[in-house]
Amino acid sequence: MRVLQLTWEFPPRIIGGISPHVYDLSRALVRKKAEVNVITCNFPGAREYENIDGVHVHRFETYAAGDSFLGWVLRMQKNMENKASDVVNSDGGVDVIHAHDWVAGVAGIALKHLFRKPFIATIHSTEHGRRAGLHNDFQRSIHEIESWLCMESWRLITCSHFMKEHVSWCFGLPEDKIDVAPNGVDVTKWQFPFDYWEARNRFASGNEKIILFVGRMVIEKGLDLVIRALPIVLNHGIPAKIVAVGEGPEKGNYQRLAWDIGVGPKVHFTGHIDNGTLRTLYRVADVAVFPSRYEPFGIVALEAMAARLPVVVSDVGGLAEIVDHKGTGLKVPPNNPGAIAHAVERIIRDEGFRKWIVENAYEKCLWNYNWDRIAEQTLSIYSKVFHEWDAGDWKPK
Amino acid sequence: MMLTWEYPPKRLGNISDHVQALSHELVKRGHEVEVLTEDDMKTGVEDISGVHVHRVSNQVKTHPTASILTFTMTASVSMEREAADVIYYYRHVGKEIDFVHAHEWLTVPMAISLKHAFKLPFILTLHSVEGHRCHDNFGPISIAISEIERMGINEAARVIANTEWMRNEILRYYGGEHRNKVDVAWPIGGDWVQGIIKVYKKFLKA
Repeated sequence: MRVLQLTWEFPPRIIGGISPHVYDLSRALVRKKAEVNVITCNFPGAREYENIDGVHVHRFETYAAGDSFLGWVLRMQKNMENKASDVVNSDGGVDVIHAHDWVAGVAGIALKHLFRKPFIATIHSTEHGRRAGLHNDFQRSIHEIESWLCMESWRLITCSHFMKEHVSWCFGLPEDKIDVAPNGVDVTKWQFPFDYWEARNRFASGNEKIILFVGRMVIEKGLDLVIRALPIVLNHGIPAKIVAVGEGPEKGNYQRLAWDIGVGPKVHFTGHIDNGTLRTLYRVADVAVFPSRYEPFGIVALEAMAARLPVVVSDVGGLAEIVDHKGTGLKVPPNNPGAIAHAVERIIRDEGFRKWIVENAYEKCLWNYNWDRIAEQTLSIYSKVFHEWDAGDWKPK
Repeated sequence: MMLTWEYPPKRLGNISDHVQALSHELVKRGHEVEVLTEDDMKTGVEDISGVHVHRVSNQVKTHPTASILTFTMTASVSMEREAADVIYYYRHVGKEIDFVHAHEWLTVPMAISLKHAFKLPFILTLHSVEGHRCHDNFGPISIAISEIERMGINEAARVIANTEWMRNEILRYYGGEHRNKVDVAWPIGGDWVQGIIKVYKKFLKA
């Protein structure tokens, strides 16, 4: 199976979750004997062609600026399309074209028709979801492009059942056009030797329990709820501290909130940190809290589970599917600091319970969120559309 | 294969009537012409005394701040679908499209994509240049459009200017290194069709 992956971000260019997703998926597909060509934007210092664990990565020129983000994305995708045409023409072909989100989808639509090959798209998120509605013409235009992408796509993939329902509702699509293939996690990334106390002491004093939050500082990720839960935890006699990783427009408001309710010194904002430090933090923290108000998937919860860190998540979106309440973590109602405080306390005080959920969660990562398994699932979607294409007469020539 | 963003009954400027007249004259002289155009009011395929007109509507209707750039980039992909269908139909009946004739920057992204996918060369007529339209006040959109014009000149097999003056202006904006690529062919008056066919022949011989 020869697969063309279209993505606007691929390591070392990392903007969001699509980059690591395509990276891990492509490598796993190669392990399953697929031939994978990735077409992606260039990045300072990255080579035009690279072979990463058998994945052929082709980078194309983009522009410094456009008249708007939308205009830039559309022009960038033209170069993506032309680069892909060159690769297909020189490499002797492609069986399935796979695009990730609308930022690569328009190129995918064009390539589908130029080469008459089956085309699949993964919808990682929607404009409607990202903006909580459509409020201006830029957002409406992107929504239309996403709708066009869903129409042209032979089949669609979403990462959670929540997203499947959302995409089906948002674009008026039959649910049987959409397959669910989750994000995966590579547990070995969290298995490395390190000095526990040396690492821990960089973030908290010896007796302090670390409550870890990882995410963009935006309202939908809900860091304010963890900050509001902290005084309750402290009043119950648990010396705890929040370590909040990430950047975003709400960061200043959250810092002020912490000082306003009297826990300023107990909330540490790290800003952006490197992957190594972040993985160490997952290993030394006592509990992770992801209280999102909107979450298409929630890969951070998976990362915590892979690091054997107990998780408290809000019962929304993809998070609700990843975590089984009292099985692989604790779920709390959204917008409820009291419930978060109660859940955090339970995990910190009950050592037996903590062990039970982290071992279950780790097992779940190994079985359900294993990239090899997800690659097999994805390949079966590819062969399904490929055979449908093969049986029809819509072909080149 | 003619690429144009306007074709009668859609008229926003003079390119519409020019492309129509050229297509009919070519058919009269025994050539085959497929016209591809964008039209939101009228879509489908029409045979008008031998000229095959393919009208496609842009799949994306909302263009913030009425951006001609986002319109062009999405219309391009909508039209490529029809162009590919035409090319595959030609192959199906044992024929090949010889070349593409693109008019103005609006069809340049599409012409470049067809060139990369099908190795189909194109001739580009620039009826005007962005520097004139924006009076040399290059805002973000004008920078993008002039970049597209530059890419078009770089990738085109030949470039047609309507007058000697336009040829000089194209070379002034986009560099004298293209001087062997740019021909002058009048769009009207006297033996104008012969002038354009001469450029076609010059290209086909090369």
